[in-house]
Amino acid sequence: MRVLDFLHSTVVLLRLALLSTVALLKPSTWRLALRNVGRNGRRTAVVLTGVSVGLGGMMLAMAVNYGMIFQMVESAIRTELGHVQVHGPGWEEQPGIEVRLPSDRIPSDLEQRAPGLRAWAPRVRGEGLVYSPRASVGVRVVGIDPAREASVTVLADSMTQGVFLDGERRKVLVGERLADRLKVDVGAKVVLSAQDVSGEMTGEAFRIAGFFRTASRELDESAVFLRLDEARRLFGLGDEVSEVVLVAHAESGSGPLRDWLAAQAPQAEVRTWKEIRPFLVQIIDMFEQTGWVVYAAIFVAMAFGIANVLLMSVMERTREIGILSAIGMPADRLVAMVLAEALVVTLGGVALGAALGFGGTALLSDGIDLSTWGEGLESFGIPTRIVPVLPAHQLGIPIVIAIVTAVVASLWPAIRAVRTRPAEAVRHV
Amino acid sequence: MLEATDVTKVYDTRGVETRALDGVSLRVDAGEFTALAGPSGSGKTTLLNLFGALDAPTAGQLRLDDQQLDQLSSAQLARLRLQQLGFIFQAYNLIPVLSARENVEFVMELQGVPAAERRERALAVLHEVGLGEIADKRPLEMSGGQQQRVAVARAIVSNPRVVLADEPTANLDSKTAAALLDLMEEMNREHGVTFLFSTHDPMVIEKARRVVRLRDGRVVSDEQREAESA
Repeated sequence: MRVLDFLHSTVVLLRLALLSTVALLKPSTWRLALRNVGRNGRRTAVVLTGVSVGLGGMMLAMAVNYGMIFQMVESAIRTELGHVQVHGPGWEEQPGIEVRLPSDRIPSDLEQRAPGLRAWAPRVRGEGLVYSPRASVGVRVVGIDPAREASVTVLADSMTQGVFLDGERRKVLVGERLADRLKVDVGAKVVLSAQDVSGEMTGEAFRIAGFFRTASRELDESAVFLRLDEARRLFGLGDEVSEVVLVAHAESGSGPLRDWLAAQAPQAEVRTWKEIRPFLVQIIDMFEQTGWVVYAAIFVAMAFGIANVLLMSVMERTREIGILSAIGMPADRLVAMVLAEALVVTLGGVALGAALGFGGTALLSDGIDLSTWGEGLESFGIPTRIVPVLPAHQLGIPIVIAIVTAVVASLWPAIRAVRTRPAEAVRHV
Repeated sequence: MLEATDVTKVYDTRGVETRALDGVSLRVDAGEFTALAGPSGSGKTTLLNLFGALDAPTAGQLRLDDQQLDQLSSAQLARLRLQQLGFIFQAYNLIPVLSARENVEFVMELQGVPAAERRERALAVLHEVGLGEIADKRPLEMSGGQQQRVAVARAIVSNPRVVLADEPTANLDSKTAAALLDLMEEMNREHGVTFLFSTHDPMVIEKARRVVRLRDGRVVSDEQREAESA
C-alpha cells in the first residue's frame, strides 16, 4: 500500500512539474510574476543586488582563475614545452644525451602533413657545467635552431639584454638568474663543459649573446641555449636531435597531433604537454575544483536568500493566493507563478551579475600585479601579472546555476502556495 | 442545481472541536437570488465555502447538478470552480497588480479563452457594471464599491452556474452597498445568473427573493418571497 501511495505521489508530482513547465510558457504567467516582483521594489532591489554581486564576484573569481590557468598553460607551452614533444625510445624513463632521434627521419614538409601543426623545432638536450671567471653552475645545455625555436617558443621575445642567437658562432643565451649566479654581463666569456656521447669530457668557450627572463624560474636559473650544430659538436653527435617540439594551431589540437605522430613513428615517444607535465594538469584540476567549491557556496547562499524572499512574498499574499485558488487557478499555474517570480529575480540578477563580471574583467584587462608573491608563483610557472579571462561560453555556468537555484529556491514557497487552503486563506488579513 | 444533504462540518483547532454546520440540507435552484442569513458564527460562510468547493464537509453530501463534490480530486474541484462557479468575497477580492480589465480577463485566461475575445468580453462586462471608464485602473486606484463591482464583473463574465458571494457588502457604506445589490439583482434578472450570498445586513436580506436563516449551524427557516419584492 505504501509503495502504491509513493508511486501515486510521484506521478502527481511529476504531472504537476510537467504542467507547471507548460504554464511557464504562457505570457500571462510572466506578466503576473513581473508585476508581483515589482510590488516591493526595495526588497527586489536587495535580492537583485545580492544575486548580482554574488554572481559578478563569482564570475570575476572565475576570470582570474581561468586567466591564471590559461597563462600558466600558455606560459609552459610557449616557454619550452610546446603542445607535443617527440623523443627517442627510453627518454621518459632516462632522459639524456644517450637518447636521440635521427633528424633525417623528420620530413621537411611536416607542417603540411601533420594535422593542425603550426610549427616545429628540433633540440639537442644534455647536462653540463658552465664556468665563468667567478662561478660554476650545473646547467641544462639546449641546442636550438634559432629560427625554428622562435616560431615555437617565446624565447626570442624574452630577451631582456643583448640579442637572440643569430648567425654568429660561439654564442650562448642564459637566463638573468643564471647570469646573476655566474656574475657575468652580456659579452662575457664562459666555458661550457659536458660529457659527450662517448663518455669523454669536452668543453668549449662561448660568449654570452644575451639574457632572457621567462615565467619559468627553473629555465631562467639553469638553462643555457646555443646553436644546434654547436651543441651537436659539444656532445659529439652526428646529424641527430634529442627532441622535436611541435606547436599546434590550438591547444585542442594536441591530442590529434600526438596520435598522428605516434602512428608515423611507432618507435618514438610522442607525448602531449599534459603527459610530460602531469603536475601542471593536477594544478589545473585543483584550481577548477576550488572554483566549484566557490560556486557551490555562492549557490547555497543565493538559494537561501531567494527562498527567504519568495517565502515572505508568498506568506504576505496568503489571502491573494487563496482568492486565486478560489477562482479556479490550478496548482500548476500557482507553482509556475512562484517559479517565474524566482526566475525573474534570478535572471535579472544574472544579467546584472554578468555585466559586473564582464565589466570587471574588462577593467582588469591590463592584468593584476601579483609580483608581491612573484617568487612563489614563478616556481609554479605562473606569471606574476594575471590577466583575467572570461570566455563568453563560461557564462553558461552561472546561468545554469542561477536557473537551478531559482527552481530549488522556489520549491518551498511554491509548495506553500499550493497547500494554501482557499477557505482559510480568503479570511486571512 | 446546488444541493447539500445532511451536511456537517466540524473544525478541529488544537484538539478543540467546533461544529460549524450540523446536519444542514438545502437545495438552490437555477436563477435563484438567495441570501444565507444569520448572526456571526451561524455557519453561513462555512456553507458557502462548502458549496464553492473551497472546503470539504466532515459528513454529508454536496452536489452541483450531477457532480458529487466529495468524489472529485483537488484538480477537478479547481476546474469546477473555474468553469462553473463565480466568487465574490467581503473585500480585497482583486489581484492588486492587475487592472480592472485584467482582473476580469484573468478567469477567462485560465479558461483558455482567446485574448481578443476575453478582452472584448471583459470590457463589455465592465461597461455593464458601470466601470468602462476605469478599466485600466488597478484596485488601489478604485473605491471599495468599484472594487466590488469589478469582483461582480469577474464572477459573472464566464457565465458560471452560480455566483457565491460571502458578505459582499460588509465593507461598503449603505449607499454603495445598495448600488452593488441593485447590480447583482440586475444580473440575476437580466441574465438569469444564480446568486447565493451570505449576509447579516438587513438591507441585503430585504432584497433577497429567498432567505435561508441559519443559527448554530442549523437551518432555522427557509422563506420564499415574491419576485417584485426585489
